[in-house]
Amino acid sequence: MSTILEQKCPCCGGAVEFNTGAQRLKCPYCDTEFDITAMPEDTSNQVEQINWNSQGAQWGAGETDGMSVYVCNSCGGEIVADTTTGATTCPYCGNPVVMKGQFSGALKPDLVIPFKLDKKAAKEALKKHISTKKFVPKSFLTDNRLEEIKGVYVPHWLFTCDAMGNANYKAKKVKTWSDENYEYTEISYFDIYRSGNIGFDNIPVDGSTKMPDDLMESVEPFDLTQAVDFNTAYLAGYLADKYDVTAEESMPRANERIRQSIIDSFKETVKGYDEVENQGANMNVANGIYKYALYPVWLLNTKWNGENFTFAMNGQTGKFVGNIPTDKKSVTKASLLLGAGIGAVIYGLMWLIELL
Amino acid sequence: MTKKIFAIIIVVVICVSFVFSASAYTQQYVIDYADKLSSSEIEELDLFAEKLESAYGVTVLFCITEGTGDVTAAEFASGTYSDYTDNENGIIIVHDEWNKAYSSFISGNADEVFSDAAVDSMIDAYDSNDSYYGGIYACYELAEEYLENGYSGGYVYDGEPLNNDTDTIDASEEKGGVSIIWLPVSLLIGLLVGFLIINGIASKNKSVKMQENATVYTRPGSMVITGSADNFLYNNVERREKPKQTEKN
Repeated sequence: MSTILEQKCPCCGGAVEFNTGAQRLKCPYCDTEFDITAMPEDTSNQVEQINWNSQGAQWGAGETDGMSVYVCNSCGGEIVADTTTGATTCPYCGNPVVMKGQFSGALKPDLVIPFKLDKKAAKEALKKHISTKKFVPKSFLTDNRLEEIKGVYVPHWLFTCDAMGNANYKAKKVKTWSDENYEYTEISYFDIYRSGNIGFDNIPVDGSTKMPDDLMESVEPFDLTQAVDFNTAYLAGYLADKYDVTAEESMPRANERIRQSIIDSFKETVKGYDEVENQGANMNVANGIYKYALYPVWLLNTKWNGENFTFAMNGQTGKFVGNIPTDKKSVTKASLLLGAGIGAVIYGLMWLIELL
Repeated sequence: MTKKIFAIIIVVVICVSFVFSASAYTQQYVIDYADKLSSSEIEELDLFAEKLESAYGVTVLFCITEGTGDVTAAEFASGTYSDYTDNENGIIIVHDEWNKAYSSFISGNADEVFSDAAVDSMIDAYDSNDSYYGGIYACYELAEEYLENGYSGGYVYDGEPLNNDTDTIDASEEKGGVSIIWLPVSLLIGLLVGFLIINGIASKNKSVKMQENATVYTRPGSMVITGSADNFLYNNVERREKPKQTEKN
């Protein structure tokens, strides 16, 4: 059985949580606040290991694959979690717990960006997000219920490198002139070549298969200048996963983004043309290093018409994303009304021109 | 979003210009067998003739030809009139460039307006002008004057006053209108544009997407261009004739 870590209040023994407002640990029972550095990183000497003899059916071979069992230090309850879970709350006593083995040794993150925004801010952001959208089904606004809201430290790989590349573009210049009898249009075609170097710092790639990649990339960017060295105390009160996508597996996505950046950045140096179109690019990467970091994300799940809708908020900057359903009837109705109006205006203009 | 708005504006402009151009130019009133007029001149004169037809119910055709073939000038005029219009009331003036001769054919109630003297004056106006376009335009201006005069009860040279009670020529019914057929066309275009605009707004409800690049993570000042070449490949020149006034021989 695995062991877990709880940050205990030295005053009352209650489980402490990371407070986003104070950016310190706070005991929800006696309101005492502590600096992150004041808390011990590893309190393994306090961990109890309790073994129970099962009288029920035994797990079959392979049934426990992908599953880990932990025991809550506060109430002794058994916590079953998947192998990537790094921090959660005890389902019996609600105390936040950190599975310390998930973030130790080689698995220890280099950096963590602490949550700056709390659950209340995430709820308000969801309301604002929905209220500013058009053609949202009325029943979604009234019947939609927030099923779950959770703050998650999402594992990310951060790639830093110097990229060298070259790109080819096809460009056009259009020139028009006229003489007494004719109008001339000259289109000149050019082959453009650019090569050069660009440095990239900390390109994030989602390291968790549980999190949709498009959702994680949509809440970017995070401000890494506010990142701190990893300490398990930051995880208290939040969920956290360890990576299950390795750095090597994440590299192709980072390379893809670097390649497109080279194409886009070099294209901006192609000036004086009316049209520029990329024809291909090559890229090499040098001095590549990667880091392992945990990024704060609020995940909000709602259910409507039997369908799940997941929203995400950047726990640092507050950027909020999430797809909202559209009311097809409202869209059709509005299209018809607007279309009829525009049609009437066009016909009216025809009359006006005819009369003039 | 800017690209979408721009695309929508382009679509609207194209659609509107299509409607206006289509509504404005439908039938041929100036027949240029001798190839003396540019297409834009013909289009402009056709618009003038169409205006006369819609206002007075009388078709005024003008034909420039180089010979009349095996038929007489009168037969050529009446045949051409029948070929280009079904309107019972109208006139055609034919200029035979080859034989330096003029002929005309008048159909239906148009003879109440276009007396011999009126036709002669129209031909004189055409003949005395330096350009074909200017001549036909002057001819149409006179035709308009005679038609307006005739409908207001006035006299046209030595002709009789026009009978305003005829059912076939009713200016008040025809003047200053756009055919109802353009209403569904306008609505169709409106619906297309409306659909594009509303769907553009509705698409904002989707905010989850993969990032295209990593430009935001570029190290400030790190981009260095080490090689650069802009090579000319080839060019194409297209020439289009400008609308112009054609000089007479």
